[in-house]
Amino acid sequence: MARVRLEHITKRYEDVTAVDDVSLEVADGEFVTFVGPSGCGKSTTMETVAGLTRPSEGNVYIGDDEVTNLAPKDRGVAMVFQNIALFPHMDVFENISFGLRLRTYDDEEIRRRVEQAADVVQLEGMLDRMPDELSGGQRQRVAIARAIVRNPDVFLMDEPLANLDAKLRVHMRTELQRLHRELGTTIIYVTHDQAEAMTMSDRIAVLNEGRLQQIAPPLTCYNEPANRFVAGFIGSPSMNFADGELVADGLETDNFRVDLDPGEVPGVTVGDAVTLGVRPEDVHIASAAGDLPAVTAPIEARTDVLEPMGDEVFVYLLLAEEAGRSMAEDPATASDQLLMSVTPDTEVHEEQDLEVVLDRSKLHLFDSASGEALRHGLVERSEPESGETSKAG
Amino acid sequence: MSDDHETTESTESDGNSDDPLAERWRQARRITDGGQPAERGRERDQDAPHAFLLEDEDDAELDRGPFQQWVATSISNPKRAYRAMFYTATIFFLLTTLFPFYWLLMVALTPEGQQQDIILTPNGFNPGAFIEVFQTLPFHWYMFNSFVIATASTVVVLVVASLAGYAFGRLEFPGKTPLMLLVLIISFFPPAAFFIPLNDLFNTQFFALEPITGDGTLYNTPGAMVLPLSAIFMPLAIFILTTFYAQIPDGLEDAARVEGTTRLGALFRVIIPLSAPGVATAGVLTFIAVYNEFFFSFLMTDGQPENWAPILEGILGYQGQYEVMYHLMAASSIIGVIPVAILVIVAQEKIVSGLTAGALKE
Repeated sequence: MARVRLEHITKRYEDVTAVDDVSLEVADGEFVTFVGPSGCGKSTTMETVAGLTRPSEGNVYIGDDEVTNLAPKDRGVAMVFQNIALFPHMDVFENISFGLRLRTYDDEEIRRRVEQAADVVQLEGMLDRMPDELSGGQRQRVAIARAIVRNPDVFLMDEPLANLDAKLRVHMRTELQRLHRELGTTIIYVTHDQAEAMTMSDRIAVLNEGRLQQIAPPLTCYNEPANRFVAGFIGSPSMNFADGELVADGLETDNFRVDLDPGEVPGVTVGDAVTLGVRPEDVHIASAAGDLPAVTAPIEARTDVLEPMGDEVFVYLLLAEEAGRSMAEDPATASDQLLMSVTPDTEVHEEQDLEVVLDRSKLHLFDSASGEALRHGLVERSEPESGETSKAG
Repeated sequence: MSDDHETTESTESDGNSDDPLAERWRQARRITDGGQPAERGRERDQDAPHAFLLEDEDDAELDRGPFQQWVATSISNPKRAYRAMFYTATIFFLLTTLFPFYWLLMVALTPEGQQQDIILTPNGFNPGAFIEVFQTLPFHWYMFNSFVIATASTVVVLVVASLAGYAFGRLEFPGKTPLMLLVLIISFFPPAAFFIPLNDLFNTQFFALEPITGDGTLYNTPGAMVLPLSAIFMPLAIFILTTFYAQIPDGLEDAARVEGTTRLGALFRVIIPLSAPGVATAGVLTFIAVYNEFFFSFLMTDGQPENWAPILEGILGYQGQYEVMYHLMAASSIIGVIPVAILVIVAQEKIVSGLTAGALKE
């Protein structure tokens, strides 16, 4: 067990910079997930920890030792790969014991530890099978057993569940959490699936285009995203964004306005471009929003498409008159659309005109130019009518 | 009910003379039938518009000979034609490859002095030639020499080509393509072009070699054949192994390295075992090529078995100043082929089993 520290890691390939000045520290026994879209550098960052890639700049520390130039075998790390990477010419026992057999353990010790590892991942009785005789989930367990059998200081998992079917993935997710609780080993986990990141980790490191965007506990990333990218990436469906301009007494977007005191928003002045972000569950139908302490002025909208999910219904709202095209696009990018999530018993149907309000305490403001978060949650305002009048004028 | 109705309708439309395709089939049929009326065919074409065309069992005997009949069935059932072509080709190749062996056997079995007009059977029967071969010359010694030379060359080629194949197949480094092209170019050189400088080199005395070879030269040692022959057959092995090693998923190598091997360890523990068919192919090809090689084998020794002369010198040894013992040359050629034949049969099984095991499924 050990902590892992990355100091200003940069990895350049001939024409691209895969990882750009990433610094972070993973505490002993912590479960940290690197999450981000494809090509964001998360796997490369992990490979620098494993030693499979040497960073162009920066240092890697495991425990108290600098390991930047050490070979992977000397780092005390174990890794589970996306493609599982079991050795096809070896049976399960040989696969699990591969690392042990390379070191000087006697046969009895090897057998004991392999059986113990197989026990942890519930693979008893399968030690003499070949990998191609196993199901996807069993192969994944063999890969995990191979990783835990050496008692590594750090566990690296590179999208270990990506090749499994959806049901098995959820199951293995809970198993991995159980494993982490039992072993208490430091785990660095890479995924592009934010659901995996949210459910399993102690902290999430969100990466985009090789840069670390935010490293924080899952709910902090969800409730107080550091910038517009994190806000849009974490959460499904993703946050609504509306580009607007800060005016003397509020924020004016193309289709609605939100009253606020510009002094509330640090770092910007009147006239600056500010993006408003609001999650689908913080959009409410005006008539049903009575019990919320503070809401924005009602916004006129027309429902477009409903997506009943069972436990909730996603309602696609059109804000502008001429809107109605390009619904297939990501609602987060279209500022004249709004995605609302309501309970299934809400009476709403397609092509219905209605008024919606936004929960003021759950609004997020971002600097449109830099994308940095300016403020999460606006203070209460007592005169909800003012928005209506100024909009009319 | 509605289903039935539909079926009837479609049958009707098939038989309908308005349908231009059906009309053309009918016309074609009339031509092939020699203008015979085709009442039965017309009935049949209602459910299968063109199956009747050439498969007409009933009136085929009237106007078709066996060859026409065969052609007709082949057109309607092309697999028959392909099978026939396959057998023709197989028989042709078997004949051209196996007949020389058969003839060699006939020559070997014919007693000395009666070899004038052997065509398909031997003039007499003298299996003793296969024994005589070993009595006249120490032929087993020549065979042993060849075996050692071929094995040594194969080992050298496989080890060096494995390292080269790993580098070319799995690493990115500047100058990779030019280097690969250089290997390719060298493989195009005629081996004879190297002979004179090499022969000169191998006849030069080197002090360092004295403890090993006695006189300090490589002439009359296996080295004089292993070194040039390994180099000559190396490019082919490099190409074969490069393609195989390049196909092993990176994840497997990474896994091995994280588990505790070096890159070299991963090559020998994971990549080479998984490329067994490729390694076997490269090995067998090299072994056979070296075993069969003529030029260097003939010129790099003085032809004495104790000086590592290979099998070739043994076979040529039955050709004396005053007589040529063709039956012994034939018998020794057959004996010389046997180890290679066994190797090919064994290795072929290995190659096939390696390919069918689907070893690379992740």
